[in-house]
Amino acid sequence: MTCKLYQTELSEYLDGELPAARVARLEAHLRVCPHCQGELQELSGISGYIRAASLELRVSQDFDRRVLRAVATYQVAARVLRRRRSLLRPLVVAGIIFLGLLGALQRLLLSRPPVLPLRAPQAAAAAAAPAAPAPMGADREDR
Amino acid sequence: MHPMGTEADVEEALRAHRSPMESRLPHAAESEVLRACLAGAPEAFRELLARYRQPALALAFQMLGSAEDAEDVAQEAFVRVFQSLKGFRGQASFSTWLYRIVANLCLGRLRSRRPCLALETCREPCGAADSEHQITEALLARQVLARLSPELRAVLLLREQGALSYREIGEALRLPLGTVRSRLSKARIAFREIWKQSLQAREGSP
Repeated sequence: MTCKLYQTELSEYLDGELPAARVARLEAHLRVCPHCQGELQELSGISGYIRAASLELRVSQDFDRRVLRAVATYQVAARVLRRRRSLLRPLVVAGIIFLGLLGALQRLLLSRPPVLPLRAPQAAAAAAAPAAPAPMGADREDR
Repeated sequence: MHPMGTEADVEEALRAHRSPMESRLPHAAESEVLRACLAGAPEAFRELLARYRQPALALAFQMLGSAEDAEDVAQEAFVRVFQSLKGFRGQASFSTWLYRIVANLCLGRLRSRRPCLALETCREPCGAADSEHQITEALLARQVLARLSPELRAVLLLREQGALSYREIGEALRLPLGTVRSRLSKARIAFREIWKQSLQAREGSP
């Protein structure tokens, strides 16, 4: 393994995230490689530089006040929303019940057999048999 | 009714947050403060704010390079904490959770304003730094951080500033563990290279 390949392990080693088996191999390499020892030392110094970057970062005096105001605004908005929902809920429930009833009524009406128009029984029979033969007695009279 | 409540409603809610702090809270364990916060104690949220204001701001500042933007992001992060505290399961520590929110808010901001090199990285640190050397180091570190890509900066800062484990960084940024490993290694090497170049450039300049 070349030093370049060890280089990627140095970061994990510094963070204590390198698996134990690889730690032993890396440490054995570090004992004999001054180049990687130097690399390790340089990389370990980065933590200090990064901590220095936020040294004495000043927080605005009104930061807490602004956060608390934003939280209070959120609380009020959430409360208004909850209140609206609680007002709307009965209306929504009533609407659902109404629509349910409407649907049930419609189903009921559609499931009934169609109602035929009322006619006199004889007229209906005549209409149903238009080409019925003439009675025998009528023939005789014609002759 | 005002669509989101009136100013008077906000002031009233704010008054509750200004209630006097219980004397035991500043010394209480984190879990106790969180429990109190969940129970609706406004002073418990103030205690969380007092404990984590500085680290949240430092992370946001180093990610964004601007104190003003950092405060905006930290403010939004604390509001999100308040909104979703009920959903906090305690699987990770509170600070890990907060860092995750801050880092993701910063990345979202950086994505929408790329390319960026924060001008404020060149401003001197506020307050009384111990020595001129410290000031120089702080300025240089900010410049170097600003030159890293947001993705590399995020993993590096979550590790170095937030002390998150690789697994926690992966969860925070939704990255596989292998990507966290390789990005951290790249970030450190890039930081070191830019640091060296910047030092050489300073020494070379009159």
